[in-house]
Amino acid sequence: MSFVPGQPVTAVVQRIEIQKLRQNDHLILGFSIGGGIDQDPGQNPFSEDKTDKGIYVTRVSEGGPAELAGLQIGDKIMQVNGWDMTMVTHDQARKRLTKKNEQVVRLLVTRKSLEDAVRHSMSNYPK
Amino acid sequence: MMQEPQEVVEETVTIEEDPGTPTSHVSVVTSDDGTTRRTETKVTKVVKTITRRTYHPVMVTETLAPMESKPDTRTSTPVPNLTPTPSETDSVTKMVKTVTTRTVRQVPLGPDGMPLPEGSSPLGSYTDSIDRRYMKNGGERYITPQATSTLTRSYNNSYNDSYGETPESQYARHYGLHDGYADMTDNYGSLSRGVNFRPPRYPYMPNSYRPENSYTLPIRKDDYGHVAQPQVPMGSSSMDLNRSQPERFQPEPYGLEDDRRSLGAEEEEPYELEPDYSTANRRTLQGANRGRTHREPLRDGPRVRGYPDDPIEAELIDERHPYIHGMYSAPLAQPERGSMASLDRMGGRRSPSIDSIRKDPRWRDPDLPEVIAMLGHPIDPVKSNAAAYLQHLCYENDKIKKDVRQLKGIPVLVGLLDHPKSEVHRKACGALRNISYGKDHDNKVAIKNCDGIPALIRLLRKTNDMEVRELITGTLWNLSSYEPLKMVIINHGLQTMTNEVIIPHSGWEHEPNEDSKPRDAEWTTVFKNTSGCLRNVSSDGAEARRRLRECEGLVDALLHALQSAVGKKDMDNKSVENCVCIMRNLSYHVHKEVPGAEKFQDPSALQAPGSAGPQRKKKDDAGCFGGKKAKGRKNGENDKNYDTLDLPKRTEPSKGFELLYQPEVVRLYLSLLTESQNYNTLEAAAGALQNLSAGQWTWSNYIRATVRKEKGLPILVELLRSDSDKVVRAVAIALRNLSIDRRNKDLIGSYAMRDLVSNLPSGQQRPAKNLEEDTVVAILNTIHEIVTDSSENARSLIQAQAIEKLVAINRTSQSARETKAASHVLQTVWSYKDLRNALTKDGWNKSHFQPTVTATPKAAKNGKPGYDDTTLPLMEKNQGSRKCGSGDMIPLDELGPDGYSTIDQRDKDCKYKTGEGSVDLTEREPLKNDTNRKHYIRSNRPAVSLVDACDVKPQPVDSWV
Repeated sequence: MSFVPGQPVTAVVQRIEIQKLRQNDHLILGFSIGGGIDQDPGQNPFSEDKTDKGIYVTRVSEGGPAELAGLQIGDKIMQVNGWDMTMVTHDQARKRLTKKNEQVVRLLVTRKSLEDAVRHSMSNYPK
Repeated sequence: MMQEPQEVVEETVTIEEDPGTPTSHVSVVTSDDGTTRRTETKVTKVVKTITRRTYHPVMVTETLAPMESKPDTRTSTPVPNLTPTPSETDSVTKMVKTVTTRTVRQVPLGPDGMPLPEGSSPLGSYTDSIDRRYMKNGGERYITPQATSTLTRSYNNSYNDSYGETPESQYARHYGLHDGYADMTDNYGSLSRGVNFRPPRYPYMPNSYRPENSYTLPIRKDDYGHVAQPQVPMGSSSMDLNRSQPERFQPEPYGLEDDRRSLGAEEEEPYELEPDYSTANRRTLQGANRGRTHREPLRDGPRVRGYPDDPIEAELIDERHPYIHGMYSAPLAQPERGSMASLDRMGGRRSPSIDSIRKDPRWRDPDLPEVIAMLGHPIDPVKSNAAAYLQHLCYENDKIKKDVRQLKGIPVLVGLLDHPKSEVHRKACGALRNISYGKDHDNKVAIKNCDGIPALIRLLRKTNDMEVRELITGTLWNLSSYEPLKMVIINHGLQTMTNEVIIPHSGWEHEPNEDSKPRDAEWTTVFKNTSGCLRNVSSDGAEARRRLRECEGLVDALLHALQSAVGKKDMDNKSVENCVCIMRNLSYHVHKEVPGAEKFQDPSALQAPGSAGPQRKKKDDAGCFGGKKAKGRKNGENDKNYDTLDLPKRTEPSKGFELLYQPEVVRLYLSLLTESQNYNTLEAAAGALQNLSAGQWTWSNYIRATVRKEKGLPILVELLRSDSDKVVRAVAIALRNLSIDRRNKDLIGSYAMRDLVSNLPSGQQRPAKNLEEDTVVAILNTIHEIVTDSSENARSLIQAQAIEKLVAINRTSQSARETKAASHVLQTVWSYKDLRNALTKDGWNKSHFQPTVTATPKAAKNGKPGYDDTTLPLMEKNQGSRKCGSGDMIPLDELGPDGYSTIDQRDKDCKYKTGEGSVDLTEREPLKNDTNRKHYIRSNRPAVSLVDACDVKPQPVDSWV
């Protein structure tokens, strides 16, 4: 998932659609995020590249909407409902995810296992 | 693996602390404030518990075997795996036999002209893919459709059915009484359901099988009459009948045996299987090295061998069969035979090992890529058998585990966890458990990387099968031994494990007011595994502790289980040990980390001039509990209050993490300390008291007073005589913390001094106990604390003839830390001017009480860096005093510059990054500040940090959405 500044980022992504769950007055997604361009990327335990200031999934509540949708801890969120998440502050990301008027959030996420799977399939299957 | 006839199998590896292993790297860390906490420092440290159980053999042994970190346990327990004992070899060989028979060794003779890799060894010969072999060999030799068909075809054909049914039918006949089997007519998968079924013992096997064989498998006989020689050896061992009808029936017996075995194994006890696997593995896969040599002699059959183990072996065989059978069972049988038959005619080479015994060289084991390929086979029984065989192969074989990983077998196995058929996910789970065991963390990481942890948790939620649950929790236990996976396990599975296992098995109920009477805890394997897993993850730092404390019902259930253990006087088992260790870990830093802790901070600590401890908090609510002054150092001005301490009235019963530090727990821990014979439990219980009595908050005042009121001091002092080094250490540190209470200090000074001193080495010669350096330092620090601010206690020290020992340590000890600690005590003693008379009368002079040259801070560098903390429970306090500039006090920080590092794994790591080997005081400050900051931030901001902050960087933000 490394990238060269100025160059487009390529990543293997998965679409994940999360139906928000109403809990009392709140709509929750059931996961938490870390990261953002205003955060210290060195403390992100999930990124391979420790300068990556992207938004990462840090926790997924058991049995919650995010887990049901297949979101996993350590996933890097690339887009939220089409909005780029690779160059946003933590708070911007949070706000994108928690819009009260949206019942559904569509994420593009990438994770290492996805990339590995693709790489594996590309190298192995030709034969 | 465990060859014990009686079923005792054995060892479960728990990660964290081994009961018996001195080598375990679990370190008790004492932080500045005197709290202790246990950290598993190493993977090695991973706790392996050796449990001897019949049912567990598989899992446990597996786990154990890899854990070489604990040599002790192994040696102590007769684990066949490690050392090739005669019995072991026997069992192994048997395994081999069965395996070999199954597969035909086609390579050498391949009719199709396929290259024969190596004639001699059956294993090596299997370069070809299964399909090819079957196809070609079978095709040429046998006209039978089955033979010619490819694997898939063969699988699909009628044979499958017959195989599937045969086992059942057999069982039904023999064991018709069993309920479990009644409904298992469908297929393999169904067989597993019979929970109650026990695999028939060796003696019974022959009878049952014969009729079946001839009966159910007529076709085979015809087709393959000459084929199955390998079976003969089997037959010889287990069945006489087979011999009578040598070749024809042989194939059938195999099938039957396998089935039966599989049943037995599946139904009965997953663990027994392991032994089989283990043995088989070595033999088959490792190839020539060990297996071969052993094989030949063994082939003759158990009885022939005349090993004492025969009965055991027989059992093993039974178990093995299922797997073997499962692997190749129905589908492959025909092609194999065909190939074999061909081989016979051809007169092809035989592997020496096989030939010698069986005379049927033609069977071979599938190689690893083939087995892994079978995991994706469309037929479920093939999948499950492949997984079972993998489990067997991986048993205690790190090489194979690695190979499985590199061949991408782990993601496939993880994928099978979601398979609807219990047989499949059970076997996959078993394989994963074995793979996850051992020092090779890459295997654990591989499981995690393909999302194995959430998959395991999902399965745990889904399944009600006890065996599967044992396998799942065993796997999780293994995984939890690796530091980086702990938080992942917490994130995915904490609440599930609590809800699915801990709470139900603990007997605790949310609604106790139901008319049902309170239930006792059940010490099931599932509970043991799960508590072991939680025990491991509980050592992962502040965040892990917070998550566990806040996990609904966890603390309540653990406490209930422990109380039940005390009530039943059943306190020596592993589950109790795990529970106490979790409680101990969760009690660590409870006064800093618990929500709302700042409300309970002891005001006296805040007012003290130099108290720069991490607890510096808002002062607002501090007074509402009328906290007592914790420090006895100020000449005990407040000590009069202690006995009149009123516990706060509660409007509602405490629950959750509050239970950790309620004075009521003191009685529980004291009961454990009184009754348990398990050193780890003793150590953990003492450590819990140590942690609870450490902080500067109201609750620790209550705890310290309650220990005294519950008459806990004599119990602790008694344990100073324990033979276990770590128990002595934990108790010594607990006494040190308890002596923060002035009355405790007086009592301990009066009654414990002799026991403390008797643990000290005299000069260079160690006492009989030969305590470790850490323990000696801990005792010295405890003595120092006791004599500080109490000339009475210093006098007791002199009367206990301690000066001679202290001077000797100060002058001659090889340990810089011991030297320094002794030096501090001596300087304190010398500071009491009224005692100097008595001292000089005994022939001492000032020079004896001055630090030796080596006792400079630099010397501390020689000490083991990570362990100092253990002995420095009172860091905060000491620091405070140092800042106050109390003249005669020796800054204790010198003793433990590294103290912070050990707080927990993460902190330690960070610490090392920031201040490598920092020994000087200046370095400590920043570290301490970190702690403060971290704490402070956490208390103000509910957000959870990504990582524990170890340095000055801003806390990472983490938001729930």
